[in-house]
Amino acid sequence: MIVFEHVAKRYAGGVQALADVNFRLEPGEMAFLTGHSGAGKSTLLRLIALLERPSRGQVLFEGRNVGRLSRRQIPMLRRRVGVIFQDHKLLTDRTVFDNVALPLHIAGLSFGEIKRRVGAALDQVGLRDKSGMPVPVLSGGEQQRVGIARAIVAKPPLLLADEPTGNLDPALSEELMRLFCTLNELGTTVLIATHDLYLVRQLGRRTLVLDHGRMVDDTVPVPPGSTGPEVLR
Amino acid sequence: MSAAKAIRAGFRGWLRRHAYSLLSSIGALVRSPVASGMTIGVLAIALSLPLGLYTALANLSAMNTDLERLESISVFLDAELDEDRARRLASSLSTSPDVLTVDPISPEAGMRELAGATGLDDLELGEVPLPWVLEVTPAREGDVGGLAGRLRALDGIDQVIVDLGWLRRLEALLGVFARLVELVAVLFGLAVLFVIANTIRAEIQSRHEEIEVMALVGATPAWIRRPFLYAGFWLGLFGGLGAWLLVRLGLWLLAGPVRDLGASYGTPASLQAPPAELIAALIIGSGLLGIAGAAVAVSRQLHRINP
Ligand SMILES: Nc1ncnc2c1ncn2[C@@H]1O[C@H](COP(=O)(O)OP(=O)(O)O)[C@@H](O)[C@H]1O
Ligand SMILES: [Mg+2]
Repeated sequence: MIVFEHVAKRYAGGVQALADVNFRLEPGEMAFLTGHSGAGKSTLLRLIALLERPSRGQVLFEGRNVGRLSRRQIPMLRRRVGVIFQDHKLLTDRTVFDNVALPLHIAGLSFGEIKRRVGAALDQVGLRDKSGMPVPVLSGGEQQRVGIARAIVAKPPLLLADEPTGNLDPALSEELMRLFCTLNELGTTVLIATHDLYLVRQLGRRTLVLDHGRMVDDTVPVPPGSTGPEVLR
Repeated sequence: MSAAKAIRAGFRGWLRRHAYSLLSSIGALVRSPVASGMTIGVLAIALSLPLGLYTALANLSAMNTDLERLESISVFLDAELDEDRARRLASSLSTSPDVLTVDPISPEAGMRELAGATGLDDLELGEVPLPWVLEVTPAREGDVGGLAGRLRALDGIDQVIVDLGWLRRLEALLGVFARLVELVAVLFGLAVLFVIANTIRAEIQSRHEEIEVMALVGATPAWIRRPFLYAGFWLGLFGGLGAWLLVRLGLWLLAGPVRDLGASYGTPASLQAPPAELIAALIIGSGLLGIAGAAVAVSRQLHRINP
């Protein structure tokens, strides 16, 4: 699904955010991306969704070199990648429904179809009854879940999440992670950047570790108690 | 068959996307009614100036054709012609179809007029021999030049003077005025373009997060651009509509005084509103100007989102 080959990213300011990063993520896989603040986690995700172009090396998504895509091809790529941002990136002057419906409006679906799919996505994140509410009245955790609903509503094959549990309490974080696991079991490839090492260890999934822009580790941690991912189920 | 189906489905999707943009653009205008109202007010005033000037020009030109009736030809008879011959000539001229009235002026009356005009009294003017003069008013549709030529060829006529000077001047003045209207229309058309471009630019800046979000979830530049183009169209359209209302208001306010003015000249006078086609052209044209202005603003901003 995703292949990084000798990928480097140097920002215009001269910061070397990534240096010679190599890894593969197979379809249907779920992995965590960890590392200290400033390690390059967000940058790596931004390269996949083509929010930035790599300075060197190639990023392949579904076999295509993302860095080579023309401007006109960017929207089509982004429709196949659902991205969940740490700062939600929701439209604060719209309702929950309108926010989640945005990708479907862009795709030109009929209103009936949009209603059905938004309802299903809100069900999955447990926000069906908040559908008509304006976004600002929701709590932080609820807003994050609206962002997730928007990312999954168009059923993209790949889901990227950048610190989705960044400022949530542990119980909510765990609930969100369980949601990602469910989505993954339904067939979506998932890559989550997080520094919540406790949760990562508990879930026992593949973990990629970045340190100052270099990929220093790629392991599957053994969760405490050794019962595997079932701990959470 | 399935290809036709796909095309129809694609068309429906296209319609839906446009409907969504159209509605969201109106939503954006309604969400900030004060800002939108002020912009539309500025546009209405900017557009009402050329429209108002045009209306004034059209009415002045109509008045000018009315005034052509007042052109007159002064026919100076030979000095030796007496009153009897002068009056007979006058009455024979007045039967001609291209002559409306003939007004004979005696040398005494002419002298009085001359004295009044120059400020000299009779004594000073002394024994300047004045001829009889016939003031000929041509018929409405008549060819004044041709009539003057025929009069010149008649016996007993010394000089024929066609007093077109002031009319020509008025016509020239109207010509200048017409050019001025064109100039003002172009200038204010540009002003509308800039006002809308600037309004949309500010709108884009205040909504850059929304634009970013749309780009992030896979919106094409065309999709992002569309609501702003519609917004520009609405601004232009409502601005044009406002300008029309302002001109109607002006006409309504001027109707009374103009009627009084006409009454003082003994003719019924009224102002004509600009024709419907012009209004339609103005409103649609300003809508299109709005789209153009918005397109300029949007394309400048869109390049920043997609690397
Ligand atoms: N747009 C940018 N311009 C310049 N430097 C940036 C930009 N974004 C991130 N960086 C720098 O790149 C490095 C990696 O950042 P980031 O990928 O956000 O790390 P993380 O998400 O792991 O905290 C940091 O040093 C950061 O300051
Ligand atoms: Mg980050």
